[in-house]
This record gives sequence, C-alpha cells and structure tokens, in this order.
Amino acid sequence: MSEHNRRRRSISDIIDEYFENFVAWAERVRETIMERPSWNCRTCTMEPLREVMVTTDEVIVTVDLPYAEQNTIEVKPIGKDTIEVSAKMRRKISFDDFGITHHRGEFQRFHCQTRIPVPVYMDRMEIRFKRGILEIHLPRKHEYEIPIE
Amino acid sequence: MSEEIKIIERKEIPKEAVMIFGFPDVGLVGVIAASHLISELGLEEVAYMDSRLLPPVIVLHEGLPHSPVRIFGNHRILLAVSETALREDLIYPIMHTLIDWGKAKGVTMMISLSGIPVQDRQDLDELRVFAAASSPEVLKMVQDKGLEILREGYMVGPQAVMLQHCATLGVPALTLLSQCFFNYPDPEAAAKALEQLANLTGVKVDVSKLLEKGEEIRLKARDMMKRTQQELARMRKTQEYDIPLYIS
Repeated sequence: MSEHNRRRRSISDIIDEYFENFVAWAERVRETIMERPSWNCRTCTMEPLREVMVTTDEVIVTVDLPYAEQNTIEVKPIGKDTIEVSAKMRRKISFDDFGITHHRGEFQRFHCQTRIPVPVYMDRMEIRFKRGILEIHLPRKHEYEIPIE
Repeated sequence: MSEEIKIIERKEIPKEAVMIFGFPDVGLVGVIAASHLISELGLEEVAYMDSRLLPPVIVLHEGLPHSPVRIFGNHRILLAVSETALREDLIYPIMHTLIDWGKAKGVTMMISLSGIPVQDRQDLDELRVFAAASSPEVLKMVQDKGLEILREGYMVGPQAVMLQHCATLGVPALTLLSQCFFNYPDPEAAAKALEQLANLTGVKVDVSKLLEKGEEIRLKARDMMKRTQQELARMRKTQEYDIPLYIS
C-alpha cells in the first residue's frame, strides 16, 4: 500500500472512530436521561413499556397495558408531537405483590408521554386495544414534496 | 473454561443431563419459561457464575445474595438462567463458559429457549415454534418430532452463540424459537416453547398457570424487558428481520 493510501485510510479511520464514539456517547447520555424508576409513588402510576414505529403512511405507537380496564384508557395529544396515555388498572398493585418490602406504595394507573418523531395528524388518530396492547395509529403529515425532474 | 469467568458448584451435578438455557431476549421468552420450569419442577440452585466481567449486580432472595447468572437442576436437567440483561460483549464469554462446563459434565444435549419476533403479534391466536439445530442429526430428530425448521435467516444473541459453539464442539444442541412480541414480555410464547420442550425431551410442566398469570408476569417483567431492549438494540437484534444473501 502506498504512503498516500495509508494516510487516506488513516483519516477515514479517524472519522469513523469519531462518529462511533459520538454515537456511543449520545446513547450513554440518552440512557442516563431515561434512567429512572418505572413507577411513581406520588402519583400512584406505573410507566408502561411502549414502542414507536414509523411507516411510510403512519406512525404506530403500541403500549403494553396489562391489567388495564379498557373503558378507562385515554389517549390525549399534547401539542403537535407528543401523546399522553393513561389507563386505570383492574386491581391495585403494591410493592408487596412483587415481594418488595423496602418500598411502600400502591399503583392503580398507567401513565406515560411519548414523543412522535415525524409530523402527524393528531385529529385523525385511530385506537384499538387487543391482548392488553394498546395500538395508536397516527396518519403521517407529508408537509411538502420534492418534485422528481 | 475462561479464567475470567468461573462456575462455582454448590451441589452434585447430575451426569448425562439435558442442559436448558433461558436468557433475556425478545419477549423474555427464555427467562419466563425458565422461571416457570424452576417453580413447577422445584429445581434447586446447583451452581452459579462468578466473574469480574459481570456487572456489579447481585440478586437478593430472602435477604441473601445470589449471582444473576445461575444454574438450577434436578437428576435429569440443568437449567442456566440470567436474572439480568446481559451486555452484548459478555454473551460470547458467558455462553462459551457455560457450554464448556456443560460438556465437561457430560451433558447429552443443550437446548436454548427463546423467541422469534413477529409484527402484529397481538393478532396471532396460534403461535408457531421454530427450531434450529447444531447438526443434521439433531435437525432430523427435531423434524421427526413435527417441529418447523428455521431454514434461512439470521439469529442474534445467546442462542446464536450457543448453536455455533456446540456445532464446533460436536455437542448436540438446538434452539426453540416461539413467535413473540419483540419488546414486550410474552408469557404465552413462553408457554408454547415449553410445550415443544416437553414434546422433544419429555420434560413436562403444566403451563396453565403461566397463561393464567400472564398479566401479572407482564407487569413484573417490565423493568427487565426495558433493560433487555437496550441490549437488544446494541447487539442489532433487528438483523433477524433481514433477508439473507445465501452464498452456497
């Protein structure tokens, strides 16, 4: 390999390494920010597991809500890019139920807020609940199109 | 066995046992199934893993410390289970150590219980269980028992390392993959995997409790699932959705 090629590969390696370090750092920061209990004793709420999937036509948010009473599920838009989900549980859950004796508290609701990563029509939201999983469909808003010449 | 990872034996280890693995992965299928096996069969802790490579975590049960990676057993099975999500870079050394140890103990077969994620899982009433094996002989045995084979595709995680290492060592091994949620604990999928484990090995357990307690298990497993999600993202688990370019 020529000296020129060696130097060029070396610069590329440095750039790759820089981006890998940056991505790892961003991931660590994200996890640190997210690092908090999945429950809140003050509000008696538990934070459910959730997932956001972006397709070409819509954003699908799913939320795992075991023990949720279907008729108490509420999904509210908060601004243009966030939704709030809450639901009452069929029974009160306490730390005792998990065998935990060093915390005290009871939980009767699920509560979470989720950011929607692309523009959507909040007013055209569709919701269904099956097998304890809440599925929220939000049609995507394509605000502009780039013409193909 | 890796010098950095030790397996400390607490009881006599049975000879010619079947060794089962239940590690955190999609839907926590393996961990939920393992936990049910332990309670239904009354399995006792026979060994545990000790290593400075493991995160500084212990699991407290009745006020006493336990390693997060333990081996339970009775006269015919050994069951390796992790109660914490495993860092991606630890999967190779942990799985190699467990498999080398099992081979040294004369284990006759290694079986990993896990899941295979499907989109629209909540619409599936009947879950399919697939199998992959370490050798053509094991593959034939699995087919003879009526299981579907995972013919082409990628496998990512502890079960992938297990199959490859067992194939290298010539230890019969297979992975049972039950259709499941990617990011949510899935007790129903764990029950399906256990039904096929019974079909293959005769290790039978009543899975009705697992199904009855489904919601309770999902609630309890939330935090472990959340940490497992982070590790699944690091090990690029979504590669299992990829269509492979098969090179013959």
